[in-house]
Amino acid sequence: MTEPGEAQQPASESAKLADESAKLADESAKLADESVTDRAIRRAEELLRRLHGAAPPPGGPAGAPPASAPDAPEASRRHGLPPLPHLPPPPSSGELIGALRAAPSMLDQKIILLRFLAVVVLGACVLVWGADGGGEFWPIWVLFGFACAFGFDAAIARGLDEPDQPAKAFALHLWLTVFTAAVLIAVWVLAGAGAFWPSWPLFWLGLVLLGHALLTPSEVFGRKEQLAARVDELTRTRSGVLDVQAAELRRIERDLHDGAQARLVALSMQLGRAEQRLGDDADADTIALIKGAQEEARQAIAELRDLSRGIAPPLLVDRGLVAAVEAQAQRSPLEVHVDAAGVDRRLPTVVESAAYFVASEALTNAAKHAGAGAGAAVRITMAIDGPWLRLTVADDGPGGADPEGSGLAGLRGRVEALDGRLAVMGAAGSGTTVVAELPCGS
Amino acid sequence: MRVVIVEDHALLREGIVALLRENDIEVVGQAADAEEFLRVVTAHEPELAICDVRLPPSFTDEGIRAALEARKRLPALGLLVLSQYVEPVYTSELLAAEGTGGVGYLLKERVGDVRGFLDAVQRVAGGGTALDREVVAELVRDRSAAGGSTIDELTPREREVLALMAEGRTNAAIAEAMVVTHGAVEKHISQIFTKLDLPATAGDHRRVLAVLEYLRATG
Repeated sequence: MTEPGEAQQPASESAKLADESAKLADESAKLADESVTDRAIRRAEELLRRLHGAAPPPGGPAGAPPASAPDAPEASRRHGLPPLPHLPPPPSSGELIGALRAAPSMLDQKIILLRFLAVVVLGACVLVWGADGGGEFWPIWVLFGFACAFGFDAAIARGLDEPDQPAKAFALHLWLTVFTAAVLIAVWVLAGAGAFWPSWPLFWLGLVLLGHALLTPSEVFGRKEQLAARVDELTRTRSGVLDVQAAELRRIERDLHDGAQARLVALSMQLGRAEQRLGDDADADTIALIKGAQEEARQAIAELRDLSRGIAPPLLVDRGLVAAVEAQAQRSPLEVHVDAAGVDRRLPTVVESAAYFVASEALTNAAKHAGAGAGAAVRITMAIDGPWLRLTVADDGPGGADPEGSGLAGLRGRVEALDGRLAVMGAAGSGTTVVAELPCGS
Repeated sequence: MRVVIVEDHALLREGIVALLRENDIEVVGQAADAEEFLRVVTAHEPELAICDVRLPPSFTDEGIRAALEARKRLPALGLLVLSQYVEPVYTSELLAAEGTGGVGYLLKERVGDVRGFLDAVQRVAGGGTALDREVVAELVRDRSAAGGSTIDELTPREREVLALMAEGRTNAAIAEAMVVTHGAVEKHISQIFTKLDLPATAGDHRRVLAVLEYLRATG
């Protein structure tokens, strides 16, 4: 029925696909490893920020970066992952920031108080100096004192801002050296910038630092940058693999439709015509044989149809996400309202599939738990916001869904594989809301 | 009877044409894509158009859209769609189309059952309906999953009768398919009409309403 070449084609396709899948699994495993480190870094950064308040002291050596912005987007940017625009940041950082604002820790309070005190004392000194009739501007030394205190704090903070131990020790050493050097030079300038006496202390400090640097294995430097680069690379290659995989699946589906399925239909038709030509007075065994062959062909066609449908529902392929979700909504026993005005174009295949299966699974769950005939209503909202597709399925059912339930866990895996996020909200009694955000290109 | 056919797969198209001609049905035009199809339909004004769903260039739902467009031009044109998959949305769109022509949606492999296929061709050309039993089964499944519907009050036997009605069969054909008497079928149908609260007007009209009750919620 099929020529050898064509029979082999799907086989080699699936071999290629299996190969891609294996690579993908491998990449995912690596990525999972990376993300453990990544999380550790984030956690450490959080702790540091907690320790040092919302912003580092001003005038720190080499201008410590402003850290008053919430940490999640910053950390994400550093590791090459886009910030999530809508979902609340993970509870750890979100709640942390909120908590800091609401009730600063003892240390934060002290630092804020100190800064306030510094400004007041400096102002008072300048006033006293002015009232005293000017002369040598001695309040500069008061400023110097405060700068030392805050500078030291900043140096420690920066020094601790390294993930791994050898690098951390060296960073601490480096920043303390920078701090000391800055103090020496400042004293030299303030004292009238005569002969450059700090040269020897600076020389020795530099020498010790150099020694430390030589003793530290070189690969620990730039660990964070390496990790960030690696995450970038993995994100890129993984999305490439997923795109290739989706395109391959779609091609296999098309090949099945145009190739094997069509040929089987033609076969079945020819058998039908043969049966008709034999007429009613033909040998019963022959008729039975033809009917048997037709039944085989019919089953083969049905199996191929199920296979195609498993790859992607026809309506999703033909008309895209909105049409497929709307059809699904109409077939639900619940009253479902779909608002998809924000989706005005076809999206990448992988994104459409993932969003469709999220909506589909959420609807099925809603129907299962909300109880048919109870007048339960579901609202599905889909919108494109910049490079993100946001899908929300909210029901007014009993709520209390288990976010780790197998169905939801499967969806989460599907969404996260695309660097998207899935959140399930809803305490018992308040309905369930499933939110998925998927990067969809811009 | 004059028929136009659009199917991009040459093997299938030629097969169907041969089958129809062997059974004295006149195929006045053939097309391999939607544009050509509309041209042929407009030129020949046939009684029936047999359409594939996926056609060049994008291989999505061109066939459905072309069929609906053809119906706009020829309100009496019968539309028989042959598809490789069941899609209730397309069925509903065809049933909702304006015009007096018949509507059919069959899985392609039904062509293998020559007698059944020719029956469907005759029915749709004559203004009736022919829905694939898989399509009907899917619609029934949707409706029974929907809950609270009056369809739910039907017994399995009555639902089976309704499914056969939706396929466009006559009472006699239903009796034959279910291996029951003609009277038994009539009794089932009258029960269906009562349960679906359909007014006792012209019998055929109620038949259509009963079938539409199935399809309504599926859009």
